[in-house]
Amino acid sequence: MSVQLSWFVARARRRFAMSRECSLLLPRVCAALADPRQPGSDDTCLEKLLDWFRHLAAFDPTEKLVQDNPCLTEFITSVLALPEPSPSILSFTLRLAGILAASENRFQHLQQEKLLVRLFGRDGPLNSAMWEDASVRSGWVEGVHSMMHHQPALHFLCNGGGIDVIFTLQGDPSLFVASAASQLLVHVLTFSVEAEATKPLSTKDCDWPASAQMIIKHIEDSLQSSSASHIKQSLKLLTSLFGSCHATWTEVLWLGIAKQIESFLTEETVQAQHMLANLLLNMAWSPVFCDTEGSFWALVTSALERLTPVQAGPLAVGILRLYKCPQDVRIQALTVLLQPMDCILRAASQPLEYTGLLDESVSDPITVESLLSSKSSCASLLCQTLAHLEELLSLIRLPVDLPYTSLLRSLITILQFCNGFLSPASPLGSTISRILINCFRVQRSALDVLAALSERKGCDTLIGSLFDVLLAYLESPNTSPTVLKKTFQATSKWLVRLQELSCSNSQWQQTEKILEDVFLVLQKRLCSPCWEVRDSSLEFLTVLIKCLRDQDEFRQSLLSSEVPRLTENLLEDPESYVRASAVTAVGHLAFITYFAPESPVIGNQCNKENTVAKLQEILSTDSEGFPRRAVISIFTKWLRQGCTGQLEDTEQFVSRVIQTVEHDLDWEVRRGGLELVEVFCSQTVCQLGLSECPYAPVSSAVSSSIHQNELLQIFCRAKVFSFLFRSLCDCDKPVGQRACDILLGLRDNFYPVSTLKDSQGTGDSPAGRGIAWLQRTLGQGSLAQNFPTDDGNGVDFQDPESMMIVLGTIDLEELHDELNKSSDHMEKSPQSLLQDILATVGTTEENEADCY
Amino acid sequence: SYLSVFCLGPGAGQDVGRSCILVSIAGKNVMLDCGMHMGYNDDRRFPDFSYITQNGRLTDFLDCVIISHFHLDHCGALPYFSEMVGYDGPIYMTHPTKAICPILLEDYRKITVDKKGETNFFTSQMIKDCMKKVVAVHLHQTVQVDEELEIKAYYAGHVLGAAMFQIKVGCESVVYTGDYNMTPDRHLGAAWIDKCRPDLLISESTYATTIRDSKRCRERDFLKKVHETVERGGKVLIPVFALGRAQELCILLETFWERMNLKAPIYFSTGLTEKANHYYKLFITWTNQKIRKTFVQRNMFEFKHIKAFDRAFADNPGPMVVFATPGMLHAGQSLQIFRKWAGNEKNMVIMPGYCVQGTVGHKILSGQRKLEMEGRQILEVKMQVEYMSFSAHADAKGIMQLIRQAEPRNVLLVHGEAKKMEFLKQKIEQEFHVNCYMPANGETTTIFTNPSIPVDISLGLLKRETAIGLLPDVKKPKLMHGTLIMKDNSFRLVSPEQALKELGLAEHQLRFTCRVHIQDPRKEHETVLRVYNHLKGVLKDYSVQHLPDGSITVESILIQATAHSEDQGTKVLLVSWTYQVGILENILFKHLCS
Repeated sequence: MSVQLSWFVARARRRFAMSRECSLLLPRVCAALADPRQPGSDDTCLEKLLDWFRHLAAFDPTEKLVQDNPCLTEFITSVLALPEPSPSILSFTLRLAGILAASENRFQHLQQEKLLVRLFGRDGPLNSAMWEDASVRSGWVEGVHSMMHHQPALHFLCNGGGIDVIFTLQGDPSLFVASAASQLLVHVLTFSVEAEATKPLSTKDCDWPASAQMIIKHIEDSLQSSSASHIKQSLKLLTSLFGSCHATWTEVLWLGIAKQIESFLTEETVQAQHMLANLLLNMAWSPVFCDTEGSFWALVTSALERLTPVQAGPLAVGILRLYKCPQDVRIQALTVLLQPMDCILRAASQPLEYTGLLDESVSDPITVESLLSSKSSCASLLCQTLAHLEELLSLIRLPVDLPYTSLLRSLITILQFCNGFLSPASPLGSTISRILINCFRVQRSALDVLAALSERKGCDTLIGSLFDVLLAYLESPNTSPTVLKKTFQATSKWLVRLQELSCSNSQWQQTEKILEDVFLVLQKRLCSPCWEVRDSSLEFLTVLIKCLRDQDEFRQSLLSSEVPRLTENLLEDPESYVRASAVTAVGHLAFITYFAPESPVIGNQCNKENTVAKLQEILSTDSEGFPRRAVISIFTKWLRQGCTGQLEDTEQFVSRVIQTVEHDLDWEVRRGGLELVEVFCSQTVCQLGLSECPYAPVSSAVSSSIHQNELLQIFCRAKVFSFLFRSLCDCDKPVGQRACDILLGLRDNFYPVSTLKDSQGTGDSPAGRGIAWLQRTLGQGSLAQNFPTDDGNGVDFQDPESMMIVLGTIDLEELHDELNKSSDHMEKSPQSLLQDILATVGTTEENEADCY
Repeated sequence: SYLSVFCLGPGAGQDVGRSCILVSIAGKNVMLDCGMHMGYNDDRRFPDFSYITQNGRLTDFLDCVIISHFHLDHCGALPYFSEMVGYDGPIYMTHPTKAICPILLEDYRKITVDKKGETNFFTSQMIKDCMKKVVAVHLHQTVQVDEELEIKAYYAGHVLGAAMFQIKVGCESVVYTGDYNMTPDRHLGAAWIDKCRPDLLISESTYATTIRDSKRCRERDFLKKVHETVERGGKVLIPVFALGRAQELCILLETFWERMNLKAPIYFSTGLTEKANHYYKLFITWTNQKIRKTFVQRNMFEFKHIKAFDRAFADNPGPMVVFATPGMLHAGQSLQIFRKWAGNEKNMVIMPGYCVQGTVGHKILSGQRKLEMEGRQILEVKMQVEYMSFSAHADAKGIMQLIRQAEPRNVLLVHGEAKKMEFLKQKIEQEFHVNCYMPANGETTTIFTNPSIPVDISLGLLKRETAIGLLPDVKKPKLMHGTLIMKDNSFRLVSPEQALKELGLAEHQLRFTCRVHIQDPRKEHETVLRVYNHLKGVLKDYSVQHLPDGSITVESILIQATAHSEDQGTKVLLVSWTYQVGILENILFKHLCS
């Protein structure tokens, strides 16, 4: 076990351990829960109680838990004795018993008291009216699942007829119960084979252990039965089995049922094609089957051929993601995915104009053509195919070569169909174009694939017509806001690609023309009445600047357009989301306007100051958090990139920002302010040569006390210390935590670890009194506020000397630990939970839940 | 035809906590609400969407998502669903819900990330991206989701912007109420729906058996308690979420302060008030008549007495009332103020909403008075603790009233406790004679509908029918034969010939053949002659012919005779006919066999 892992385990053990207080509370809690007169406890309390027991039981498999806490077995006994327990308590009891019985020792203990038989056996809830309640059935299944970790439990289940109950529950009206029952059977089967098989199972000598035999026989019988629901249940079970268990014995099981499964595929007597596809997919991903020669892959090929394109799609894409797979299967899978795209190309063009995506020998377009020419199936087939293609294209290493150029051509065609730019003469083409016109679903999916395709080489010849389509979408008033957003995403990706291309082939003219057109349309979109559109436009602009700000043509096109002016106007947008995006965009624009040395607007100091003043104003006066958060994050970015020096003295800038944000109502703005301070400190330390990299503790005594003093003076002047120490007492934890981290980092610059202890005697000086006060204040945590900084008791945060002493004296590590306990330290403790359950005892009046 | 409803709640039971219902109607799948459970801080807080993804990609499977109102148990999982699980289709909600929803989601996100170890939660950017996908709808506006599916919103009361939705495909429809309130309150009106006679009404049933006392009483009680505390110089803390109940209580206090001429300050601690109040102003048409009327003279949401709070004010001497976030007293400003004021018995905290187990709010509500805070400090709570529910749900009377208004064919109850729902179910079944369902979470309820589907009939077919019979008469329905063509979701009845022509199909004839064994030692042609004469005699009304090749025809039925290969004494009669013959082959067989 790694050191880190064992540390986590030890921490969890401590956190969930049965403390003395808990063991005192537990009997009363059990009594309250078993008392039918008490109002039902909140479901979440019961769930959390089970979570705790699960941890306790996992950490100690001995009988200690039940022996030390006899109230647990007493609780089970008393619930069993109730004539009519509430379903939630009975369900809780079943699950609790299962958790306790997960270890063999405790299982035996509960067996001796005959509790398990009474809970899970024939005479238990199973045969009572309570069984009608889905939560009781669910509790029963969960209880059995929890205990199924040792052979006695397995025998208990199989000998007591429990396995038949699970078979029945696979068809439960509650999907939750049915699904849990299926999972349980998979678990029992796997566990039985692994725990009980005496020798490795082989096809020749197939000696399944008894419990496994029961399940396998059930699977085989169901598959041969005439009941569609039984067949489906078994297919589902096999799918999750092959998905989760990759042991070699699964092949033995498969060989016994392969013929039957094949017949479902060929005879189509059961409508379970989706399930068959899932089953085959999970098997294809299992190492047990991926090496098999012949029969399995032949079945997969046959499935890809026989299933409809919609049914075969998920299987095909799953196969194409496999690195190890026979070539002919891969081709078949590729055919499934590319056929609809091929069909689109053929429908759109004269036969001789383009070749399709697929070789005609493998392509059988009739089914796909008929699906694409039907209104009800066209969009869904295309959307599914496009989603699968996007999934494939998002893989970094694609196991298969896709015909990128033709794919791009087919995407362009789809997008043209959708906006009515293409209505071909062929009957199929005109049908498809009529169906697809204004179909947002298909537009969105096609644009997603288009964006993903920009990463792949080999589509460059079509770039002109691609941008024609993208610009048409950007311009069209019919483009919906969601489609427009996706168009922006695709456009930004392809613009980056275009830049790369024009760098290599020097075709600047085309690039310039496209950029000009893009900014023209962006100007319009920035003035849209719809805030979603304005916001997406600003986000698009920011992405473009991030990616292309080093390119001359881009900068020129942007700056000669109206876009920068319109962007600044949006700083006053009525919608706060838009204001925030405008702040970010203006912040990034500044890199190519005010902060770029070669910028044409560099001399315009007035504009620069206006912009900064506007952002400052937003930070101090905007009534909503998003724009203020955006400003502080842009300021930090500027500082990080060394741009603030061009504005004014960085120290003054930081000081002013600190004073603005320290009273902000939004803790994320305050935390943003701390980030700014962190960057400022790190840069200042580096500039003075105290440390090479930010926050690296100095190895020996600080090299130069002159520098040290200078540093302290800068921080004091910028009011860094007062902000950091006040933040330690912030009512929102993340702020305090961040401040503490920064202070710890700062301290390491002044006090090498070895010298820290020596400096901790402060004496009875005024500074010492102040520090004692600060320590008390910090001890009170978030209760403290209104630091008096200038009266006799306070600490002068502007005084470098005091600050030096404070850094060495305050136990920041302890504070750090305290803050990291966070506000949920109290909430999550088991003791708090037990107290909360007990507190509700006796309250007859229920508080009506008024959910927010 | 049928429609099905699947409640994707937490665990298998009728647990109240988060709404998420999947409705399948005429091949369309709609998700109604996408709520979260605030009681958990792990995966259990969101519905388990894997039950839906079993059906394939979410965006392909679902036609749309509808959100009824901005409460988190109805919309809290939406950004998770659209930005993390991957639903990329349309989302519908009313304009106020779209405006207010992100405030609440953002508020909760901030509280959630404050807690340690909370992962797998959505970010601010995700909330925004999710809201950008939302299509806002107006009341009573029929919105066409696609060519077949349409939705329409009705006023639901409950909270600003809350709506009931009618979902309609063809002539089948479902109404989903979300949370609603049938009695007007201080700032909202009562829910209303027209007599739309849906196949199914899905109604919340939070207060299924309760007949609620008037909200006025609760309001009076609240004002009395606040007043008394302020009068004796105490401070009142009201922990709230940024929006919703807070505004209602603000109006209440503002009016009371004005009337009583009180001087104690009222503060609102969150920076979000302005935005919240802005929305209440913007959506004034969604409030009740009284507010709308007085709006002309004075805007109810421009408060004279309620001021923004500053942290330093908490230490000020003298009485005051403070609204602070978060509403469960587990972090942030409300907890900070609570810790300052808890020790003084003159002060009071009023909890107007639900508190999750483990929070300070939950603890003090359950009566705990010694709380262990961080660093093992014990906080003794001496201040008074009050719980006040102002939630506005329809009670049993209200639910019955809505059923009377909408006249559904079936009712399905959700969002309530099993026992209470059982009582109401019986009542509904008795009074309205409709089926009432109350499925547990995880169960699928299937309801068979009896839709009448309009079919177009070709003129040619109609003409032909009228040519052979009488003119059509509404009072005398007439059986008509034809070929039904189902194409692109339209149904047409045409003549078989036209169908063949339209679909470009060639006609094939299906012939049935049968062998009849006859004991007859004569030659084959003699047997044929015998059969011919017999049939000629008995089937006088039909055309029976003996052809030169030795076969017999009876209308289109063909009969041939051969000798049995093994037994020359037996002759085999081969009879062949088409399906069009109808009853003739029966008569023929009777005679042949006789």
